[in-house]
Amino acid sequence: MLCREVKRAVYFFLDGTLDPKHKRDFSKHLKLCPECEQRITIQRRIRLFIKKRLARLTAPARLKQRLTRSLRAFAD
Amino acid sequence: MKSAEAYEHEQGWDFEKAAMPYVDSLYNTAYRMTRNSEDAEDLVQETYLKAYKYYDKFEEGTNFKAWLFKIMKNTFINNYRKKKLTPHKIDFSEIEESYERVIQKNAPDLIKDPESEIFQDMMDEDVKRALDSLPHDYKMVVLLADIEGFSYKEIAEILDCPVGTVMSRLYRGRKMLERTLLEYARKYGYIRGQAEPAKMRSRKDETKGRKKKEQPEGEEAEVQEPEENEEEILFADEEDADLELEEEEEEFGIE
Repeated sequence: MLCREVKRAVYFFLDGTLDPKHKRDFSKHLKLCPECEQRITIQRRIRLFIKKRLARLTAPARLKQRLTRSLRAFAD
Repeated sequence: MKSAEAYEHEQGWDFEKAAMPYVDSLYNTAYRMTRNSEDAEDLVQETYLKAYKYYDKFEEGTNFKAWLFKIMKNTFINNYRKKKLTPHKIDFSEIEESYERVIQKNAPDLIKDPESEIFQDMMDEDVKRALDSLPHDYKMVVLLADIEGFSYKEIAEILDCPVGTVMSRLYRGRKMLERTLLEYARKYGYIRGQAEPAKMRSRKDETKGRKKKEQPEGEEAEVQEPEENEEEILFADEEDADLELEEEEEEFGIE
């Protein structure tokens, strides 16, 4: 795998969706290329940050009540 | 009002039991789509009523959560998209370049303190603003994949598009979001040891900085006139032809 291919495949690698062959090539490349390895570390950290900071909002209680009421009214 | 027993025999009860556990997920995505709680609540309610109405069309054994999201996406497009959203054309190569620049220049600082959060001083408001700066289609895939945890295939189903499109949008959406976060981090000194020292800042500083450095309203600056077929135009422009839709999927053999 070339550096540019590693750059393009990075999210699929982090998602764990690369097929076994590409995954092997990818990991092999990282072992030999400190620059790409460093990039992946950074991107992994940014992803963790995004997932944590954009954590799910909770629906307001009034919405839940509203849904239950309207569904039951609809069913009647 | 019927008694609980009578109600239980009806489809309504069944639906309610199946659908209510997803209310937080749907609300979260609705809120990110509409950007305000009132519209988000209306969108979720309309989604639930539609889903209830067509509940008999839901195929047992398929993904119920994805089905609800699909209804919400369609409802959103019908109600809001026409008036509020237009497709954007984006200069993605410019985004890619500036991303590379920031990463390369700041790499040592970005890998420091691996145990702590990467931009730990960044305000939640900035993270939200970075997400909101994404064009709608890109924001959707990022939300569905990274917050809701849907697979590429499920997202393709929800959004009615090929898996390759999901992957391309995900790649670009994440790249844009990360680029924006890196820009904020650099600008406001969240990346440690930078030339620009960390400082207290106000909204006024932000506007000032942005006007000087970039064109007004960073987000709009990259967005040009809406065109008819976003996808085609977007990829027709792409210098890196390898990035095109389906090829991504084949090349990396997903899932």
